[in-house]
Parts: sequence; structure tokens; C-alpha cells
Amino acid sequence: MAVAEDAPPGVRPHLPGEAGIWVFILGDMLIFASLFIVFVYYRGQDVALYADAQRTLNQHYGALNTFLMLTSSWCVALALNAARAQRNYSSRRFFMLGMLCGVGFVGVKFFEYREKIRAGFTLTTNDFYMYYYMLTGLHLMHVLLGLGVLAYLRQVAHAAPLSVQNFTALESGASFWHMVDMLWIVLFALLYLLR
Amino acid sequence: MNTRNQLLCAWSGFGFALLFMTGFWLIAGFVPPPSPDASATDIAALYQQHTWQIRLGQFLMMGSSGLILPFVAAISIQMRRMEGSPPILTYTQLASGAVGAVFLILPCLIWTTAAYRPERSPELIQLLNDLGWIVLLMPFTSFVVQNFAIGLAVLGDQGELQVFPRWVGFFSMWVGVMFIPGGLLTFFKHGPFAWNGLFAFWIPLLVFFCWYLVMFVFLRQGILAQARTAPAT
Amino acid sequence: MRSLFSLRVTLVWIFLMLATALSWGFGHGLGFGSHYRYATVAVVIIAFIKVRFVFLDFMELRTAPLPLRLTFETWTVFVSGALIVLYWQGA
Repeated sequence: MAVAEDAPPGVRPHLPGEAGIWVFILGDMLIFASLFIVFVYYRGQDVALYADAQRTLNQHYGALNTFLMLTSSWCVALALNAARAQRNYSSRRFFMLGMLCGVGFVGVKFFEYREKIRAGFTLTTNDFYMYYYMLTGLHLMHVLLGLGVLAYLRQVAHAAPLSVQNFTALESGASFWHMVDMLWIVLFALLYLLR
Repeated sequence: MNTRNQLLCAWSGFGFALLFMTGFWLIAGFVPPPSPDASATDIAALYQQHTWQIRLGQFLMMGSSGLILPFVAAISIQMRRMEGSPPILTYTQLASGAVGAVFLILPCLIWTTAAYRPERSPELIQLLNDLGWIVLLMPFTSFVVQNFAIGLAVLGDQGELQVFPRWVGFFSMWVGVMFIPGGLLTFFKHGPFAWNGLFAFWIPLLVFFCWYLVMFVFLRQGILAQARTAPAT
Repeated sequence: MRSLFSLRVTLVWIFLMLATALSWGFGHGLGFGSHYRYATVAVVIIAFIKVRFVFLDFMELRTAPLPLRLTFETWTVFVSGALIVLYWQGA
């Protein structure tokens, strides 16, 4: 870890958002960590089945969604950046772009699920597809929740000038959205790329 | 101020947790749950060999479940302090908490029915056993509504002194989310999402009782703080 | 727009997109030939390097109080380590 990357000396540590949101985020991360570990453990018990089933996934959907999710997170980071400069209009526009990417993610997921179900791959097809639907489904639930949060943040960004409480709300919501992004990064690697 | 009655209601949640787990775990021996994969004969044998324990265990579980109601009422009183008027989330919590108690009482009656005539056809015992587990672990809906109502009320608390700390609100909503995977248990007969699996049984169970403990601690603090701030009548 | 692209979060975003493309390549046999197990370990490591950048720069944990940052760093190390060990034992 290079020293230059750390906070410049003299800058006080700053807790992004409020303490409570980190309880939720860490709680979710604990559950997803156990989901990841359980998946990779059971995969190890029957590698051939998981590898065969994985080949029936359309990898392009997964990759496209990763790009959408990363871009969405970036937009939200930029929205926060704009809010800090009290540029409300710009901030709301970035929140909107972030939401559009999130909606795109949901749309891609819809077409992916539809393609799989039409091809006869469902929750009960085999263990790989059980994990595929459960993990992506739980994640999708978080995306939908996160879209609601982003819509709320966009409303918060109307306040001029933005108060300390407004920033706490913006940082809390943004941190949740970045966690949703982070979970997808791991899910993409585990479900689509593990060989 | 009826502080004593309020504290009694808060303690009743503690009583519920203790008695319910005694019946469920120690007496009926339902922890860990029988595998959904087990044959009808195996399930029937379980009820035939432990008829007496299962009946007594269900009696305790069913009896303790009523203690949820005063606990839910105690939460409602504290929520009303957070919410002010109109106390819409308070009512939501009261209603969904009461419905939640129903889904703890019902499986006890169903399992008791199975243990009532353990000599009957194994398929019928298996049917009742399935029904009991599904009724206990699948209905996440009222718990999710209840926990989100509490969460939103805590986060919306505009009072000078917070009734519950804000993290309890986030914690409550997280607990609600943890029950959702149980709703899909009907798709699986083995693995972590089946009714004896990590995500449909163990995590919800652990999280449920952690939630009880957290609620109890802050309920007690809230009631005592309320007694300090309000003039005696 | 110029200032937008000189922001640290933008550099991180570009890095994350490139890392995704690279791990996609590794996942499809790029560079590792028939040693697919090494390719998978590389994919998992890249994923968790990406995760760490999301933590530090998007979630702004770089300037957060140390205990919070250490919790996330520990999560990253523990989960990635467990996944690699379990993968290696299973494959």
C-alpha cells in the first residue's frame, strides 16, 4: 500500500454517511460472504456438473451487467462529488444517469432470465441453477431496493444549500449502492467466469 | 406512567424466546429439522418414537407464542413516541406483529395433529410434517413488513432524544431481508435453501433471536427513558 | 468535462472497466493456455482487487475511521482467501 494513496496528513478521518447504514451494509456483506463460500464449497463437490451447467449461461449478459453496474456506481460517485461543490443540478443529473444504468441492469437480467427459462433452465434444474437464481435473485432484490434509494437521493439533492444532514443521507445511500455494485463484481466472477 | 406494565410486556418477549426454544429444541427435538428429503417411513418413525416429547414441545411453543403479543404492543408504544401523529407505522407494526404470532402458533397445532395419531399412515404424517415446516418458515411477508415499519419509524424519529438508536432501525430492516430466502424453500428438498438449510432455517433462526435480544434491550431503555422524561401521574 | 476526467473516481472507473475486460479474457483462456485453474485464481484475485477499489474510492473508506476500513479490508482478505482455497481443493 503506497503512502501517497492514503489520506493526506492533517485530514481528519471522515465516516461516510451515518453509523447505522454500516450495520446494514456489513450485515448484508456477511450473508453474501456465506452465500459465496457455500456456492464455491458445493461446486467443489461436483465440479463437472457446475462446469457443464455454467457453459449454458450467456456470458455476454453477465459482462454487460458488470459494465452497467460499474458505470452506475461511478455516476453516483460523481453525483456526490457535484453535491459537495453545491452543484445541485449536476448532482441530480448524475443520480439520474446512475439510476438509468441500474434500470438497464434490471432489464438485462429480465432478458437473461427469460432466455434461460425458455430454454428450460429453472431454479430446480440442478444445483448450479439453484445458486444462479438464488444469488442473482437476492442481488436483484438489492438492486431494486437501491434504485428506490437513488430516487430518494435525487430528491435530497434538491435542497439548496445542502446541509450536513443532507450529506449524511447522500453518503449513506451512495455507500449502499456501491455495496450492491461490489457484490455483483464477485457474483460475476463466481457464476460466469469460474472454471 | 404505567412503566411497570410496559416493562412486563418487554420481558414477555424474553419469556417467549426462552420457552419457545426450550420446546422447539430441547423437548421436541426439532433442531436441526428433519430433512425434507427423508422418506415418509422415517418421518413417521420420528413421530412414533417421540410422540410424547413432540406433544409436550408443541404445547410449550404454542403457549409461549402468545407472549409475542405484549412484546409487539410494547414496541408499538415506543414507536408511537418516535412517530407522533398519525402513528401509521405503529399500527402497521401492531397488525403485522400479531399476524406473525399466528404463524408461530399454527405449525405447533399442525405438528401436534401429526403426533396425535402417530400410528396413522406414514404418508399422512409426512404431509403434516411438511405442512408444519412450510407454515413456520415460508411466511416471511408479515415479518418483513413489521421490521421495515420499525426501521422506518426509527429512522424518521425527529425527537431531540432518539427513542431507539438509528442503527437499530437499519438492523431491523436487515433482519427483515434475512427472512426472504425462506419464502423459496418450496423449490428445494436439499441444500442451503431447503427448510433445514443455512439460509432458510439457521440464519433466520439466529437472526430472529438476535433481533429479539436487540429489541428487548432498547425497548427497556426506551421505557425507562420515557418514565424519566414524563411527569408522574 | 475536463475536470470530470481528472477525478480519482473516474480513473478508478476506467481501471475497473479494464480489469473486467481482463478477467473476462482470463475466464476464456487468455494467457494461461490449458492451466485453467491458475486462470480462475487470477479471475478471483482481480475481482477482489476491484472490490477493494470500490471500497476505498467509491465507498470512500480510504479516509474513513481506521476500524471501519480495517473491517472491510479483513472481509476482502478473508472472503477471497476462503474462496481461493475452496476452489483449489474442489477443482
